[in-house]
Amino acid sequence: MPQWFVKGLRRGVVTTRYPARPDPLAAVLPGPPAFRADALTSQIADDLVQICPSRAFSRTAGTLIFDAGACTWCGRCRDRAPAAVTSSGEFELAVTNRSALVKLIPVRGDASKGEVTT
Amino acid sequence: MSSDSAAPAAMPSGVDEAADELRRRVARQFGRSLHIRTLDTGSCAACEQEIRMLAAPHYDLHRLGFFFTPAPRHADLLLVTGPMLRAFASAARKTYDAMPSPKLVVATGACALGGVYQPDEFSYGSVAAHLPVDVWIAGCPPSPLALLHGLMVAVDRMAEKASRLTFIAGGTL
Repeated sequence: MPQWFVKGLRRGVVTTRYPARPDPLAAVLPGPPAFRADALTSQIADDLVQICPSRAFSRTAGTLIFDAGACTWCGRCRDRAPAAVTSSGEFELAVTNRSALVKLIPVRGDASKGEVTT
Repeated sequence: MSSDSAAPAAMPSGVDEAADELRRRVARQFGRSLHIRTLDTGSCAACEQEIRMLAAPHYDLHRLGFFFTPAPRHADLLLVTGPMLRAFASAARKTYDAMPSPKLVVATGACALGGVYQPDEFSYGSVAAHLPVDVWIAGCPPSPLALLHGLMVAVDRMAEKASRLTFIAGGTL
């Protein structure tokens, strides 16, 4: 026990201060994507719906529907369209209402598009 | 988000007050000590690995009053991972029924949230299709920090954040 005490003083405490303070390691965690609305064209949006392996995307006219709960953070969307998709850096995604994880992303130049694709 | 702000308005009055009262009661009863039973309903075990890391010295969830228990009868919170396989459904239901009330169910990971598997003859596709879920933790797998946040949200010691996020870069992210 005294050894533990001395060791603890010398080497410091390893336990995170989270949630009282932010954890520095949180910066390197993978996270869901974020979207640049000015670069997200309808073509890219359709593309993302096709390539997402966990069906986190769906489409309506003028909108890309992104379900952050279904997203597996694989990064395929970021690889496909690096100009339009970046990392959000978010990890605190717990919700008490499932629909709070479903986000509507506006798509550029999509106003004339009438049909609904999913 | 327009859809988020519109949703509570459509609910009958009194629901919000009841939800707030329930949340206060949960915080009163579970705020200081809460026992967790983990339940794997067909996950790939990545979530389990992260859950196990919660007990490691870096995260040390015991300092926050959370403990793991092997017995559902001693548990206040059911931490469910996986897409709820139909072969496991009755065992999951028995586990849930064996827990004393009040109890919380937390769906953990993208499978449990209904992202990866569609409902078919093998799985329900999400935990919420079979058990009443109180808190959803997104991630594949959710990191131990995300799990800590989810547990703190479940006992109302931290506010949820995701409903305010837009996932639009340069916006109010």
